Amino acid sequence: MNKDDMLCSKSHEYIVKDGDKYVIGLTDYAVEQLGDIVFLELPEVGSEFSKGETFANIESVKAASEIYMPISGKIAEIHEELIDAPEKLNEDWFEGGWLVKIEANDAEADSQDLMSYNDYKVEVE
Amino acid sequence: MVKETYLHEQHIALGAKMVDFAGWHMPVQYTSIIEEHNTVRENVGIFDVSHMGEVFITGKDSTEFLDKIVPQNISKLKYEKAVYCQLTKEDGGLIDDLIIYKLGIESYLIICNASRVDEDINWFAKNKKGFDVNIDNQSHNYSLLAIQGPKAITLMRKMGYDITEQKSFTIKPAKIEGLKLLVARTGYTGEDGFELLVENEHVEFLWNRVLERGKEFGIKPIGLGARDTLRLEAGLHLYGNDLDETTTPVEADLIWSIPQDKECDYNGKEVIMEQISKGVERRLIGFVMEDRNIARHGYDIYYNEEKIGQVTSGCVSPTTGKNIGLGYVKNLSEICNGAIIQIMIRDKLHNAKVVKRPFILKRNRV
Repeated sequence: MNKDDMLCSKSHEYIVKDGDKYVIGLTDYAVEQLGDIVFLELPEVGSEFSKGETFANIESVKAASEIYMPISGKIAEIHEELIDAPEKLNEDWFEGGWLVKIEANDAEADSQDLMSYNDYKVEVE
Repeated sequence: MVKETYLHEQHIALGAKMVDFAGWHMPVQYTSIIEEHNTVRENVGIFDVSHMGEVFITGKDSTEFLDKIVPQNISKLKYEKAVYCQLTKEDGGLIDDLIIYKLGIESYLIICNASRVDEDINWFAKNKKGFDVNIDNQSHNYSLLAIQGPKAITLMRKMGYDITEQKSFTIKPAKIEGLKLLVARTGYTGEDGFELLVENEHVEFLWNRVLERGKEFGIKPIGLGARDTLRLEAGLHLYGNDLDETTTPVEADLIWSIPQDKECDYNGKEVIMEQISKGVERRLIGFVMEDRNIARHGYDIYYNEEKIGQVTSGCVSPTTGKNIGLGYVKNLSEICNGAIIQIMIRDKLHNAKVVKRPFILKRNRV
């Protein structure tokens, strides 16, 4: 996985291609804004979500938030370890902090409104 | 316009995340809420709580006036003692909850919630008819620092303050680091600690001095985020969440704070006394989640598939590793300690056990 290949959404999710699947996670900015992460709920493998739909829930000490699908697809794999130790997201948001891997429906079409990591950084800062 | 405390620049320089709270731009966390929380439980922390209101009540009838507006016995309050009070309406609902400190025979200090200063002042004005009393809102002239944690005593000693004379829930004028202060041994964390009332112009010096002297005890600045988890673990109510104009002190499980032998009349006495003797329709309970889910303010509470109330406060409890909360429920006899209730979280019911407050054991106090 390479940060240069990452695409980010306005709602602070990222996608990055990994073989024939796409990895979805939360950006460093999102993790930083959430603060201490204490709860994570991930969807079941095999469930399908369209772009923009809530697929996971995350809570920090402060508040509960929803995580949205940056592109449509079917959940192929979930990061189960993270459910038991969601605080690990605070330490590593990228490689160690991925949330789910999906089989995308039409990644290219769905990615039109996503930004490169550099553009995203400019947008949030 | 959003107000800033006299330590605003310090908070920014320390890298605090700032939020708007009760009309003030306040630090919610500096590094991590959990880390800050643990610092207060294990060592010592310093809080800028200058947003809180300070009102001085003086005059010939100040005792009688206060006795009329709170259920507590102000005429029995001793010199330099403090008491936790509620500002009750005729119907028993609460305008605010506050601490009253006795500074002299006819002189009191009230420390009240930032969000309620204006309402309190209006309420005092409405109730002062017939009393020879002077109400002096000094909130804009004073800053308030809280030093809380098991090492607060050692730190105060280090700053040259002899605490042996000062017991819990008392206030004393003192000179610390060359500054004239009012030092109260009170707080909102469930730990031993002090609250230092200082004039705005000196607060920056005092803040820096406390941080410097506290370094060897592992002191950290603590934001409002940890203040909330600390108070909730200690089972303390937050006005606006757990208390408001519709909740009575009896419903809020604050009977312990209400003397039943108070002779004089006070706002809401009839309702409160009747509720104490006849019981209430709803009451505040504490609960611990049975899974990792977190109950938040406003979530519904169920028992046997029936909706019986609402969560008013909920958070992770870093000290116990569990998720805790407070809420109002229908006053059913089945809802006793150990009973299992359910909290509706994201359209699913999650079990929680009703428990006694506080959620953590109180340390022995001097």
